[in-house]
Amino acid sequence: MLTDSEKKRYGRQILMEEIREGGQEKLKSACILVAGAGGIGSTVLNCLAAAGIGRIRILDCDTVEMSNLNRQILHWQKDIGRKKADSASEKLQALNPDIDVEVMHATISRDNILDLASGVDGVVDAMDNMPARYILNEAAVKMHIPFFHGAVHGFEGRAMTVLPGKTACLRCLYRGPVEREIFPVLGTAPAMIGAIQACEVIKYLVGAGRLLTDRMLTIDGLTMTASEFKIHRNPNCEHCASPR
Amino acid sequence: MSIDIAIHKTHRQFAGGAERVSVEGKTVGQCLDRLIQQYPQMKAILFDRKGRIKNTIEIYVNMESAYPDELKKPVKNGDVIHIALMLAGG
Repeated sequence: MLTDSEKKRYGRQILMEEIREGGQEKLKSACILVAGAGGIGSTVLNCLAAAGIGRIRILDCDTVEMSNLNRQILHWQKDIGRKKADSASEKLQALNPDIDVEVMHATISRDNILDLASGVDGVVDAMDNMPARYILNEAAVKMHIPFFHGAVHGFEGRAMTVLPGKTACLRCLYRGPVEREIFPVLGTAPAMIGAIQACEVIKYLVGAGRLLTDRMLTIDGLTMTASEFKIHRNPNCEHCASPR
Repeated sequence: MSIDIAIHKTHRQFAGGAERVSVEGKTVGQCLDRLIQQYPQMKAILFDRKGRIKNTIEIYVNMESAYPDELKKPVKNGDVIHIALMLAGG
C-alpha cells in the first residue's frame, strides 16, 4: 500500500495510465541492482530513486576522482576520495528518504556475483569495461532476471534489454576478449543512456510498453540520430544457449 | 550492383572522411575487401593480424546483426553494411 506521502510524491507518474497506483506499488516492492555508480550509474540511480524503486542496491568498488566530475553527476567536488557507492547513497537518500539504498563495495567477479545479485529483480549494467559486463550478463541469465545493458563512448551510447531465455543476451554478440581502455566521453552520453536504461527498468516492473529486447538502440549525440539494430540469439552463445 | 558501407565516425579518418562508401560484392567479405582496396588503412581497423574481424567491430547488414560468419553473409544490390564499434564505457 502506498502512504499518503507517497501518493503525493509520485502523483504525477501515478496519473499515467501505464503506472497508476498499482504500478507504483510494484515499483515500491522492487529491488534493483545497479552495477557501477559512475557516469551511466549516476543517471540510472537518480531516475530509479526519484521514481520510487523501493530497494536499490549500489555496487561499486571505486573512489571518486576529479576526472569523474564531468559526467558522474551524483558525485560532487566535496566527494573526491570517498567511495562512489557511499557518495551515491547519500544523495539518493537525501532525494528520497522513503526508499532503501543498499551499498556494496566490491569488485565484481564470477565468484561473488551471484551473492552480490541475490534477491534482486533486475540488474542494470552501468559498468565501464566489458569483462565485468559479461560477468553480470552471465549471472542475470543464470538467475533468470532481466539485464539492462548500457555503454557509452564520446558523444555516442547504446542500450539493450535482455530477458534471459527469451531474448538475445549481451554475450550473443561476443567475438572475444576486449582490452580495457580509458575512453573519451562527454557527460551527455551517459545521461541519455542511463535515462533509457531506467525507463526500461520501470517499464519492465510495471509491465508497460515495448522493451528494448533483441535490438540495440544507439544514439549519436553529435548528429542527434538514433539507430536500432536487430540482434539475434546466438544458438552457440556461451551464456544463454540452451543445453543440448 | 552497389552496396553501401556505412563507416563508423571513429573510422572515417581512415576512409577519406567518408560516411558511406559504395562498393560491389556478393558477400560482406568481398565488400570489405573492396573497401580496403580503396582505403588500405581500414584493413588494420577491421582485422587483426590473423585476418579475423577484430573483437571490437560489429557488422550489420540492413540494420540486422550479421554475426557470426559475417564475412560469408550474402548481400545484394541496395543493401547497406554498417560497421559499428562495440562500446564499453560507462
